[in-house]
Amino acid sequence: MALNQLFFRKTIIAATGLFLCIFLVVHLSANCILLLPEETARSLYNSYSTTLRESPLIKIVAYLLYLSIILHVVFALLITIANRKAKPQKYVMNSSRENSTWTSQNMGLIGTMILLFIVVHLANFWARIKLGMGDAVGLDAAGNVDVYEVTSSLFHNIYYVIFYTVLAIPLALHLHHGFKSAFKTLGFYHKKGLRIVAKIALVYAIVMGVGFGIIPFIVYSK
Amino acid sequence: MKLNTKIPEGRLEDKWRNYQVKAQLINPANKKKLSVIVVGSGLSGAGAASTLAELGYDIKCFCYQDSARRAHSVAAQGGINAAKNYQHDGDSVWRMFYDTLKGGDFRSREANTYRLAELSAPLIDHYVQQGVPFAREYGGTLVNRSFGGVQVQRTFYARGQTGQQLLMAAYSQLYKMVRAKKVEMFPRSEMLDLVLIDGKAKGIIVRDLVTGELRRYAADAVVLATGGYSRVFRLSTLAIGCNGSALWKAHKKGAYFGAPSFTQIHPTALPQSSEAQSKLTLMSESLRNDGRIWVPDQKDDTRKANDIPEEERDYYLERRYPSFGNLAPRDIASRAAKERIDAGFGVGRLKNAVYLDFKHAIEKFGLETIKDRYGNLFKMYKKITGIDAYKEPMQISPAAHFSMGGLWVDYELMTTVPGLYAIGECNFSDHGANRLGANSLLQASVDGYFILPNTINNYLANEIKADHPTIAHPEFDKAEKEVKANIDRILAVKGTKTVDHFHRELGKVMWQECAMSRNKAGLEKAISQIKGIRDAFWNDVKVTGRGNELNTELEKALRLADFIELGILMCTDALERDESCGAHFREEFQTDEGEAVRVDEEYSYVSAWEYDRGDFKLHKEALEFEFVKPSVRSYK
Amino acid sequence: MKVTFKIWRQEGPDDKGAIRAYEVDGLTEDMSFLEALDHLNELLVLKDEKVIAFEYDCREGICGQCGVFINGRAHGPHDNMTTCQLHMRSFKDGDTIVVEPWRAASFPVIKDLIVDRSAFDRIIEQGAFISSKTGTAPEANAIPIPKEVSDRAMDAAACIGCGACVATCKNSSAALFTSAKINHLNGLPQGRAEEHKRVAEMTYQMEIEGFGSCTFTGACEVECPEGISIINIAEMNARVTKSKVFG
Repeated sequence: MALNQLFFRKTIIAATGLFLCIFLVVHLSANCILLLPEETARSLYNSYSTTLRESPLIKIVAYLLYLSIILHVVFALLITIANRKAKPQKYVMNSSRENSTWTSQNMGLIGTMILLFIVVHLANFWARIKLGMGDAVGLDAAGNVDVYEVTSSLFHNIYYVIFYTVLAIPLALHLHHGFKSAFKTLGFYHKKGLRIVAKIALVYAIVMGVGFGIIPFIVYSK
Repeated sequence: MKLNTKIPEGRLEDKWRNYQVKAQLINPANKKKLSVIVVGSGLSGAGAASTLAELGYDIKCFCYQDSARRAHSVAAQGGINAAKNYQHDGDSVWRMFYDTLKGGDFRSREANTYRLAELSAPLIDHYVQQGVPFAREYGGTLVNRSFGGVQVQRTFYARGQTGQQLLMAAYSQLYKMVRAKKVEMFPRSEMLDLVLIDGKAKGIIVRDLVTGELRRYAADAVVLATGGYSRVFRLSTLAIGCNGSALWKAHKKGAYFGAPSFTQIHPTALPQSSEAQSKLTLMSESLRNDGRIWVPDQKDDTRKANDIPEEERDYYLERRYPSFGNLAPRDIASRAAKERIDAGFGVGRLKNAVYLDFKHAIEKFGLETIKDRYGNLFKMYKKITGIDAYKEPMQISPAAHFSMGGLWVDYELMTTVPGLYAIGECNFSDHGANRLGANSLLQASVDGYFILPNTINNYLANEIKADHPTIAHPEFDKAEKEVKANIDRILAVKGTKTVDHFHRELGKVMWQECAMSRNKAGLEKAISQIKGIRDAFWNDVKVTGRGNELNTELEKALRLADFIELGILMCTDALERDESCGAHFREEFQTDEGEAVRVDEEYSYVSAWEYDRGDFKLHKEALEFEFVKPSVRSYK
Repeated sequence: MKVTFKIWRQEGPDDKGAIRAYEVDGLTEDMSFLEALDHLNELLVLKDEKVIAFEYDCREGICGQCGVFINGRAHGPHDNMTTCQLHMRSFKDGDTIVVEPWRAASFPVIKDLIVDRSAFDRIIEQGAFISSKTGTAPEANAIPIPKEVSDRAMDAAACIGCGACVATCKNSSAALFTSAKINHLNGLPQGRAEEHKRVAEMTYQMEIEGFGSCTFTGACEVECPEGISIINIAEMNARVTKSKVFG
């Protein structure tokens, strides 16, 4: 029997999506360091990021992360193309809002916004710190690369703050639908369990959205 | 021609076995060389097609719907009877046989009816094995419920969708054989004529409903499984596409029509609400278990149902039939409703309904219990009428439902045309003058799965050596030309009235004169009126579009043309039968209290009508009751 | 009452098709939606025009043939309902009602509002049956089936094959339809023998037919006349994995 594309592609998207969800939790908890008083935050944040960069285990995880993002995007693109082909002619009138959420109907669009965000985000941090592009990054008192300074200076630019905050909204929407639906895609069909998953998804999406959205503001106002 | 019923020898219990022992067999290698056409894909058609295919025959199966799964067997709600005696309440094959025979007012053949009861138990085994999710007890065994006119619980059901579930099983088996390349399925194909070669059924002419193309198909035998013809009344509980055309064409080619006037009027359908109405939705008979039927005491009472006090209500079924009350059999309940409505006590906007009230049941058992029992029906009622029946009574009305009549068949289910079989609702066999609830799914299934596959060999065994028919035969040319001429003729009329106009006219006459109660003068008038409708139709009907394209209006017109002729035969049959039996109630033959009077000495026969150039010739199959003595049906 | 129908007219599969407007008077609130179309068709005949081709059969919500898209929704404005159960009282005098055929690559338009849903039959053909011949069944009560198991099978088996799930799904996914059939049969002991083969072949056929993948918008379960739960799709996904591992 040939590879079952309808399932295979969705399974990849769901699995990578859930992995990225876990990553976001780690990411947000690290970001919370930024909320501490400035000096503590600087040293903690910088030493944390140094540890991450130097750990071989994290290196593997990082590659997994890149792979997940790429697979998630590529397969999402593939199913979007296939799904469009499955409905070549649109309805003259479509009241899809009466039977489903806007988010669930527009995961592709929302995902694209997040992808755009990721590109900017990587350019802001990853490109500077890892690839050494743009202005050189200094060291802090403990001799760690001063990632805190990069963050802090970025978030003192109001345009970036707005960009980061606004794009936390599609992130939250994407996570809310994606989290719930990944469980179903992966074959979790326990009725009550799915109700709990839906509640967790809501809480999770709010925490992620608010968390990622509010931190730039707090940093800005410091 | 003398009617040969081919009833086997022996005691009632042994007849079917004796038949099978003596029937001819065909070896598997020869079966492959034989082909059978099955028209219709409902329980009987799909059942026969898949079973015959499993046996090795080459099958072509046709239906007019877009998929075999839409056949109207799908709509049966209540259940299917079987003499399993799972409830340990004294049921047996014999008791079921007797109930069916009595329910049919002793107007069916003993041997056939007994076989129906006999094969009911293995049929339940069969459906369970096919994956039908029948209702179960917590312990995992099958549940039964009771149904109208019977004292035991023998009805198996799958929620309110028994017919659908059985049809899904039959349809999936059909597609199993499509996959095995033993069945070729032709949806959106309507049979427009039967082809006889040397007097034997050898093929059909079919109109491809998508392209309008006429196609020929040849086979060694033809099986009609085309369902009932109650759409002759226009307003009925049947699907809009249900028609009598295949039967009628077969009838015109020599198949006798058995008891055409025996049509059942179901007492609990939703009333007609406007001229434009196309269909009367059935509400399950089970509602009468807890609902009480009444009309106001005064004529033309304009008060709302809930404003009419208890003492001003007439619970007429309880009044007239104290021992059966609201659970009187269908024909009786329908007639009683008609009597009240005709007398001016009807309710609703068009004064054509009676109340079915759950107030007392809700007071007695509580809202939750009633919801649990009938929730889906109340929901359906609300969807259609917009009325909450928990708060005010339902309005119901009798509606044309099942046709007991159909092509006359012998014990082998073969019509009077050699090689032409009729199975399921489209034959006249087991139900006599009135069908018991939950027996129609049974008959359709048993005919298709168990009986036909065992009887068709007897005919086909002699066809192995005969020339297999080809569609190049001149008879096919002739039939196709006739069909084409008929279509062209309808399209050429270019009159001023729509097909539906004439159907409404026909329906009105049939409903008035040939439904729940009939009389000589009315039937005579009806025949002349229908002849008038026929002439008007052929002179003034307007069908737009062409014959060689998808044309739903043309489909309707072709079906109606046959319904009109069938209507004349139904009235002729009703007129001929000077007695009241089952669903056939002749006003001249009733007691002082308005109960039916059967005339066994003269009318204990099945009428089988032969088509004779526009006229009908009566043949009689005398009903001999060897094992059961016909009694008077009383439900007082 | 009077309404304006805007109806998709298309001569045949190769015709481009377009919306045409029809003002229709003389309707009543008691009319079903399909009866209103009947009425319009009678008017068209009298005006010497071709009738609008649309499908229906039982008109009591069970055959599944009457699917059309009404005002942007499968089977019209109400949840869990067929077109034949929709009545004109759901609209107001003077309303404009847009009527379109099901849209999906796998459901090509045949004419006007009629589409070809035979893809569903072909999915059924790939294993939505239990391969035992007539005459081979054991006694019905020989295998007890707990009520919960039987009820769950019945919930799934209620599917009427109307295609609303595909029509409303932005991806034209047939996952609800296919999963309902798979879960019905695989959930019962009688269907167990062929469970993996059934899942593999039916889902594969679904793909061949060109249906899209399910992204759980949930629109299908809202439009499904039988209210078949989307959880069936999750269950099917589990069964697919199971069939890959054990099949």
